[in-house]
Amino acid sequence: MAIVSLSYKYLEWLTGTDKETILKRIPMIGSEIERIEEDHVDVEFFPNRPDLFSVEGAARAMRGFLGIETGLPKYSVKPSGIKFTIDPKLADIRPCLGSAIIRNVSFDDESILSIMALQEALHWAVGRGRSKVAIGIHDLDTVIPPFHYTASPRSRMFVPLDFTKELTLDGILAEHPKGRDYAKIVKDFSLYPLITDDEDHVCSFPPIINGERTRVTTKTRNILLDVTGTDQRAVNVAANIICTAMAEAGATIESVEINGVATPSLTPTERTVSVRECCDLVGVELTARQMAELLEKMRFGAKPVGTDRVRVQVPCYRADIMHDWDLFEDVAIAYGYDNFDVQIPPTFSIGKEHMATMVSGQVRTILSGLGYLEMMPFTLTNERVLYDYLQRPRSPHVLHLMHPISEEYTVVRTEILPLLLEMLQVNRHRELPQRIFATGDVVADLLTMQHLATASTHPAADFSEAYAHADAVLRELGITYTVRESNDDAFIDGRRADIIVSGKKVGIFGEVHPAVLAAFGLEHPVVAFELDIRAAPGYPSH
Amino acid sequence: MAELTLNEKRLLAALKGKAGKVVDVPQLAAAMEATPEAVVQWAYLAMDKGLVHLDRIVDKAFVYTDEGTAYRTAGLPETQLLRAIGGAGTPLADLQKHPAFKIGFGQLRKKGLIAVKDGVVTPSAGASTADDEVALANPRAAGARAKELIKRKLLTETESVRHTVTLTPAGASLAAQGLDLKEEIGTLTRDQILSGAWKNANLRRYDIHKLPKTVYPGKSHPYQRLIDEMRQILLEMGFAEMHGGIVQSAFWNFDALFQPQDHPAREMQDTFYLKEEAPLPEGWERLRDMHEHGGETSSTGWGGKWNPDKAKQCVLRTHTTSLSIQYLVNHPEPPVKAFCIGRVYRREAIDPTHTPEFEQLEGIVMDEGVTFRHLLGFLKEFYQRMGFEDVRFRPGFFPYTEPSVEPEIYVNGLGWVEMGGAGVFRQEVTAPWGVTYPVLAWGLGVSRVAMFRLGLKDLRQLYQSDLEWIRNSPVHAPAKVGRRA
Repeated sequence: MAIVSLSYKYLEWLTGTDKETILKRIPMIGSEIERIEEDHVDVEFFPNRPDLFSVEGAARAMRGFLGIETGLPKYSVKPSGIKFTIDPKLADIRPCLGSAIIRNVSFDDESILSIMALQEALHWAVGRGRSKVAIGIHDLDTVIPPFHYTASPRSRMFVPLDFTKELTLDGILAEHPKGRDYAKIVKDFSLYPLITDDEDHVCSFPPIINGERTRVTTKTRNILLDVTGTDQRAVNVAANIICTAMAEAGATIESVEINGVATPSLTPTERTVSVRECCDLVGVELTARQMAELLEKMRFGAKPVGTDRVRVQVPCYRADIMHDWDLFEDVAIAYGYDNFDVQIPPTFSIGKEHMATMVSGQVRTILSGLGYLEMMPFTLTNERVLYDYLQRPRSPHVLHLMHPISEEYTVVRTEILPLLLEMLQVNRHRELPQRIFATGDVVADLLTMQHLATASTHPAADFSEAYAHADAVLRELGITYTVRESNDDAFIDGRRADIIVSGKKVGIFGEVHPAVLAAFGLEHPVVAFELDIRAAPGYPSH
Repeated sequence: MAELTLNEKRLLAALKGKAGKVVDVPQLAAAMEATPEAVVQWAYLAMDKGLVHLDRIVDKAFVYTDEGTAYRTAGLPETQLLRAIGGAGTPLADLQKHPAFKIGFGQLRKKGLIAVKDGVVTPSAGASTADDEVALANPRAAGARAKELIKRKLLTETESVRHTVTLTPAGASLAAQGLDLKEEIGTLTRDQILSGAWKNANLRRYDIHKLPKTVYPGKSHPYQRLIDEMRQILLEMGFAEMHGGIVQSAFWNFDALFQPQDHPAREMQDTFYLKEEAPLPEGWERLRDMHEHGGETSSTGWGGKWNPDKAKQCVLRTHTTSLSIQYLVNHPEPPVKAFCIGRVYRREAIDPTHTPEFEQLEGIVMDEGVTFRHLLGFLKEFYQRMGFEDVRFRPGFFPYTEPSVEPEIYVNGLGWVEMGGAGVFRQEVTAPWGVTYPVLAWGLGVSRVAMFRLGLKDLRQLYQSDLEWIRNSPVHAPAKVGRRA
C-alpha cells in the first residue's frame, strides 16, 4: 500500500488551510489516516490514485475538495530543444520511453527524500515493481544532450549509484542491492537497456539503477527525467505525475523530443458525459451546472453542454479515468459520501435459503439434540494430520497449495474427522465427556462438497454409541442406508462400518484406532462418524 | 418459621412430653425406627429452627494393645526384670538371657532404677515400678503416665462421639399443638400418579437455594450463531442465498471482475494458487476485449494483451464475489437480490488478527433504478440490525466497482472501524454478460463483526476453539455494542 507522509507545514502552505481541516476532510477524499504525528500525518491513498502519492499532488486535490482552488490545473510546457533517441533493438526488451526537463528546482534533504518516496510509490502502483515502469531522475547539469536510450552489451561498465567502482551490467545485477532485487526483470535478455548522454556517460541502467555521476543533490537546479517501460500509457502517466508534482512545487517543465514527438504534453484528455447517466448511477438529482461544479472541485475542467451533457477535461495525471463512471464516482465524492440521504433498495423480492445451508442447519439441530458442540476448524491442513495420523493412504484427489504459508497448511481437507481429532487434542485438559461435530466444505480434485463429522470421547465411548448416533443422524436426514464391514485403518477392526447408500460408500463410523489416538495424544476412547451430506435426499448437485 | 420436614415432625413427636430432658440419640433412633445418623441430621435441621437442642459429646477411652494386655497380667518388662535382679543384684550376662531384658533394661536405666558396676546390675535404693503398674491398670486416672504408655504403644486412646437431644420450650409447644405425620414423597412414581396416591401424599419440599449440577447442552458454535443472525437479516430482506465451490478459476476470481492480469493482488504472495487449470467459459472472448480495449463500452480497457492461460489457473477463492458474478451470468434479468456467507482464502500468516481463511458476507442487488444511494442505505440498515448504531461511509477503491465505498462502524474504545468494501459493479464487469442494469455489490468482513460481538481478542479462537468457551457462550447473545457517546 502507498503510505504518504504529509508534513503539516508544507501541506498548510500548499493548500492555504489549517491542519485540523485537512485531517478532518482528508479521509473523505478517499484515503485512510494511518498515523497522526506531531509534525506530519501518514496517509494511505488507494493504488488507483498515484497522483496523490506526493504532498504536492495531495495538496492539489485538497485545494479543490475544500473549494479553495477548483477546476483544471494548468501546466505549461516549453520545448527544451533537447532530443532523446531510442535504439530499435529495444523493441522486444523495454521499448517505451518518457522524458522531461525540469528546471528551477530547489532541493533540501527533505524534499529529495520526498521525490524519492514518490518515485518508489509509482514504481509500486504504476510500475508493478519496476517491470512495467521505472523512473530515473538525474542532475541535468552533469550530462550533455542529446540522450540515447540503447540496448547495450552486458559487459558495459559504469559506476552505479552508491558505489565508487565501475561494474559491468552483469556485475551490477550480481553485486548491487538494487541489482539483486530487480535482476529478474532483465536477466533473460542478451542486451540490457541503458541511457547515456552524448559523450557516452551512463545516466542509468533502467529499470535497475542510476549512475553515480548524475546523482541529485541539494545543489541540483535542473533535472533530466527518464521513464522507461513496457506500456506507453503507464510510462506517460508516471512522467506526468512527476512533472506536475514538481510544477506544483514551483519548477518549470520543458519537453524533450522523442522520435519527433515532444514529451511530456501535460494536456488534458476530454470526455463528454451524460448528466442523466450520472444521476442514475449515484442516486442524486443534479443539474448539468451542479455536476460540472462538483467535477471542478475534483480538479477536472467541466462545462455544461445543454442540459444533459458535461464536457470534462481530465488532467494528464489522472490515470484512473478509464470510463465515464469513473468521473461519476468523483461527482459522488465531491458531493460528499457523508451528505447522502441514504435509502434502502426498493426492489421487492422473496428471500430463499439455499438447500445446502438449510441441510447444514438441520445437521446442527440434530447433533445439538444429541448433546454435541459445534466446532469450525480450518479447511486448510496438511497430509500428516489428514492421512498419516489416521493410518490412511494419502489421497490422489487432495489439492496442494502451490505456495503454502507454512508446513501446517499445505492442502485443502478431503475429510473433516482429522480436524476434529485435532480439536480434541487442543481440548485434552477440558472436562469429559466431549462430544463435538463440524460441518462444512471438503474438496476433492476441483469439486467442493459438504461433509459432517462427529467425535465423542469419554471413558465409556464405544461402538454402540457411534452406531446409535450415526443412525439417529441418518434417520433424521431421511437417508436409507445399509452398513458393511469397513477396512478403514483409522478405526478398530471389527468395530468399524461403512455407510452404504444406493451401493455407494457415503460415510463411516466406529471406534477410532488406539494408534490414531496415540498420534493425536488422546488418552480416552474416541468414537467417530463422518458423512458426505450429499447423500441427503434432494441435496443440490453443483 | 420455615416449614418442617416430615422427619423433623416425627422427631418432635418422639420427644413429646420430654421437654428439657436430655435424651440419647440411640434411644430416640430405636423409638423412631431410624438410624442414629439420620436422627442426628433431622435434629440439626430442627435445632436450626430452635425446636430442639442437640449436644455433641465426645467420649475418650483407652484401649489396650495386644502388648499392653499381655503386660497387665505379666507385669511391665521393667517390673519383670527388677523382680529378676533381686535385692543383691545379678550379673549382666545372666540378666541378658531374660526375655524382658531388651525393653526392661532400657526402661530401668531411663528411670534410674538400676546401676551397673563391674558387670553386675544392682537396684537403686527403693527402686519400684509400682506407679507405672497402677497407670497401666487404670490409665484414665494416670495423666502423664498414661501418655507415656500410649507412646510405648501399650495403649491407644479412642474418641467416640455421641449425641443427645433435648426438646426446647418452643419445640415442646409445637409438639403440643399436634403434628401432621402424613408420609412425605421425594420422587413421584408412576404408581402414585396412576393410583391417585399422590392426592394424599405429602410431597417433600426441597431446598431451592442449593445450586444445581452444571450441565451443558449441545449447541451450534457461537460464530455460526452470529453467521446465522446475519443470514436471517438478509433472508428477511428478501435475498436469495448463493452457494458455490471454494476452488475457482482466476477467470472468475479476477478477470471477470476486471482485475488487470498484472494486478499485485493476483500475485502468489497474496493468493493461494493451485497447479490445476479450469477451462474458460463460453463468451470469454468478450471479457478479453473488455480488458484489452473496453469492448463496446465507454471504457479504454487496461490495454496490452490479455492472456487466456493466466485466466485458466485455479485459485482458492480470494472473495465470494467470484460467486456473485457467476450468479449474475446465470440470472442476467432483473430483479436479482442474492447473498452468501462463505470462506475465502488469502495467503496470510496466522496471528491474532489474521488467518489464511475467513468468512465474507457477499451480496448483490441488480434492478432497474437502483443507485449508489440505495447501496449506502442497505449497508446502514444491515449494520444497524447487527447492533452497530453509527455507520459512516468513506470513498474506497476496488477494481470492479465504481463508485466504491468502505463502510465504517463506530465501536466504543476503538473509534471508526472499516468493515469491508462495496460499490456498483463497473460496466466492464457486467456488460460482457448482457447485464444492463446497475448491480450494487458488497463484500463485508464477518470475523471482524464476530470479534466485536463475541468480545474476542484473537481470531484463532473462532477456528481452534476452546470447548469451555463454547460451553459457556450463551445461545441468546444479543448485540450490546454501544452507540457513539
